[in-house]
Amino acid sequence: MGDRARRLRSARTDPANDAGELMQRVARGDEAAFAQLYDLLIGPVFGLVRRIVRDPAQSEEVVQEVMVELWRSAAKYSPERGSATTWAMTLAHRRAVDRVRSAQAAADRDDVVGRRDANRPFDEVAEQVTTRLEQEQVRRCLNSLTDLQRESVLLAYYGGRTYREVGELLNTPLGTIKTRLRDGLIRLRDCLGVA
Amino acid sequence: MTSPDIHALTGAYALDAVAGMERADFERHLAECESCAQEVHELRETAARLALAAAEAPPPHLKNQVLDQIRTVRQLPPETTVVPLRRRSLAQRLTTVAAAVFFVAAAGLGVVVVRQNGQLDDAQARAAQLEQILSAPDAELLTLEGSGGEGGSMKVAVSRSQDRMLLVSGDLANAPAGKDYQLWTLANGKPSSRGLVQPADGDVAVEVGDLGDADTVAITVEPDGGSPAPTQDPPAMFKKLPAA
Repeated sequence: MGDRARRLRSARTDPANDAGELMQRVARGDEAAFAQLYDLLIGPVFGLVRRIVRDPAQSEEVVQEVMVELWRSAAKYSPERGSATTWAMTLAHRRAVDRVRSAQAAADRDDVVGRRDANRPFDEVAEQVTTRLEQEQVRRCLNSLTDLQRESVLLAYYGGRTYREVGELLNTPLGTIKTRLRDGLIRLRDCLGVA
Repeated sequence: MTSPDIHALTGAYALDAVAGMERADFERHLAECESCAQEVHELRETAARLALAAAEAPPPHLKNQVLDQIRTVRQLPPETTVVPLRRRSLAQRLTTVAAAVFFVAAAGLGVVVVRQNGQLDDAQARAAQLEQILSAPDAELLTLEGSGGEGGSMKVAVSRSQDRMLLVSGDLANAPAGKDYQLWTLANGKPSSRGLVQPADGDVAVEVGDLGDADTVAITVEPDGGSPAPTQDPPAMFKKLPAA
């Protein structure tokens, strides 16, 4: 299978592939491996959840839930289905979104702030070099999107919005939003070299 | 929904930006559309890059909290656990059904999930929980009596050793206008209300813990909002539970 070979190759060159190996040790109950995995993933998990949830105390709760869930369900991770980092980020994003959509907090979130933030994805200067490099690359690739694609993708991902909410915020028909999100991500995928 | 329309949802779905029934529909579609699944996979890897770029230093005390907590959390078994073939296939079949049901529940589309214990709030975790119940050595899967007719069928997975059960239906008819389904457990004839059950397009998933010495589970049709004690005899649906 060409796809599979390609995925395996990309997994080998993935700098975050450490996460995959650690995850397999964690699945066998290795607490030391979990502590390493924590160090590897906590920065992005925390940053992502905080962006979506906003409230510091609730963000911490969600982050803790996510990390414990990684421990609990490590055995369910299969390298065939993608990188361990993506698995963790998908879980973190889902949990953060569940939190804001289930809570009253959803109604309290400030749409104006949400939109402003979405247009300036990384204001803070990251301390870690790896994060800074990642930010540079992602920023460059985000700039290859049209303004409307970028705004839609960022509102959905960092804002934790449904595409229907994005449509309302941007006063744009839903069909257009769907297409923008897909086209924007595809362009981002190609620019970042995600295979 | 037409097929090209649904295919265009891959981007929104990879960003968790599809909710409710639409999400459930798309997931059914994904199961059959290999190219969509591949695209979602790639777009999720792409979205994860946005997460990596958002990295921030966490509060330092968090690590010890998490490390302390995992010592008290039992890990799930891998998906390839060796269990007797029949039970496993049953568990897997039901897990698939329940996963679909739970997606609806998680989306908050009117399914009341009675939670006596546990704080699991996503579909995957709930499906995993069902798997846990069914993998208990004493797990039984039963169909409620009185169900199976036009009102739809209701199944219950129960484990005494885990002290909990899970009720699942994929085709429960809505309660008549002005009425609600109410769920009860009975111990020696004494009822305890376990909350209301509201199907969303027939789907229901209700977890009930703390069974204690309950010997029967029952669902009655009650006036809107429920009753302090069941007013319907015999109940619309009921089942004797395996002995504690």
